[in-house]
Amino acid sequence: MLRRSFTAVLEKGSTFDGDFATEPYEAGWALEARWFVNVLRADDGLELSFVPQVSPDGSRWCDAGEEAMRLCGAGLASLPMRNFGSWLRLDARLAGTPGSATLIIYLALKG
Amino acid sequence: MHSAAGGAGRTRPADVRLSKFSPLPRVLYFDDFDEGMNGWCELVGNHTGNLDEIRPIAKDFRPPQLSSCTFFDIGTHGSVDGTYALKLATRPRANHSAVAIKRMTYAARGLVQFEAYLTFKSEPVMAGDRGWDGNQAPSERLFGEFTLSNDICVGETGPRCHGVIRYRNTDADGSLVQRWIRPTSVEPTTKMDRLGLVKGGARQDFFSLRPEDWVAVRGGRQPLCFNETASKVNWHYVRWLFDTSRLRSLEFQCNDMRLDLRDVIVPTYQEPYRGISNLLNLYVAVRTHANVRNFLYLDSVVVSVDW
Repeated sequence: MLRRSFTAVLEKGSTFDGDFATEPYEAGWALEARWFVNVLRADDGLELSFVPQVSPDGSRWCDAGEEAMRLCGAGLASLPMRNFGSWLRLDARLAGTPGSATLIIYLALKG
Repeated sequence: MHSAAGGAGRTRPADVRLSKFSPLPRVLYFDDFDEGMNGWCELVGNHTGNLDEIRPIAKDFRPPQLSSCTFFDIGTHGSVDGTYALKLATRPRANHSAVAIKRMTYAARGLVQFEAYLTFKSEPVMAGDRGWDGNQAPSERLFGEFTLSNDICVGETGPRCHGVIRYRNTDADGSLVQRWIRPTSVEPTTKMDRLGLVKGGARQDFFSLRPEDWVAVRGGRQPLCFNETASKVNWHYVRWLFDTSRLRSLEFQCNDMRLDLRDVIVPTYQEPYRGISNLLNLYVAVRTHANVRNFLYLDSVVVSVDW
């Protein structure tokens, strides 16, 4: 049997002007995950950081321990994860010059 | 009419997992979600590559998940056989819907039957008792509704229609309805939306032109088994038989309730369609009426035909 893989699009061209977290996503079946954040547009001076978080129940969250992924301006970045619990999300923090950013956020899973 | 009755004379299926279904002669697909998504994916509205073109109601139907039905109080509940179920999850925002679709085309017109074991839940909330009497679940009133729909286009240009049946658990103010209902208008298309024909504002409904375009199916009151607590998962059998020759639903069954749908008019588009020849899609959807995530779980799906 081939390994399973699935890519979930958790934000689809959404625009944010403040901190947010992605919707909880169950990934207990997967052995590995990789977040992709595609910044389609961001105001000058806006600093975006994305902290991967884990949860045992989809309700309560803690940082997974990985280094935050940081972006300024348009572009694509990714961050791998292993050894996680059953739920994943990204905690996004906006800093620097106040403004907004438009994003696509992917979660690519394999197991 | 097809009978779902079993009995001593019934042929034993080669795959024992099929024995809890009553398929027509040809199984078109058997989706056990312990084995993956099986082609059920997020429905998205039409666009030409620019995501800003997607009408808002059809831009955020959420990616389906493979869920082990895990909860904060008991851990993993699991599915009917195995660990995983297909889960649709809304955002915690009133009137938000999650919709998953499986896309096929038909090789012949005739009977098609959708069967599934499914259940529904609202997200456990830590908000207090809301008049809890110790037995009935307050969270039952935080679940809105779930919907099953097909999408059929006859030949190259139609007619095209959606057979739709919805379980309305509560109305928008959280009062229990617990009834199967059906739409009286067509599912709005992107073109209809761009022409301003879709109504409803904040209560816009993906499956009807106006939010009020729904009527009860006769005999369709059916309190389902929510079971007292948001983390208790009881599965329900559903079977929906429709006929792509007559563009009618024939029968809907949920557990021991059967609804005769043969005389129900299925709303049909007035204009011809191109680009969706022989379309045979199926949707499953869940909508929340409160600022609480609502979930629809499917353990497994069998779609069979008489071709």
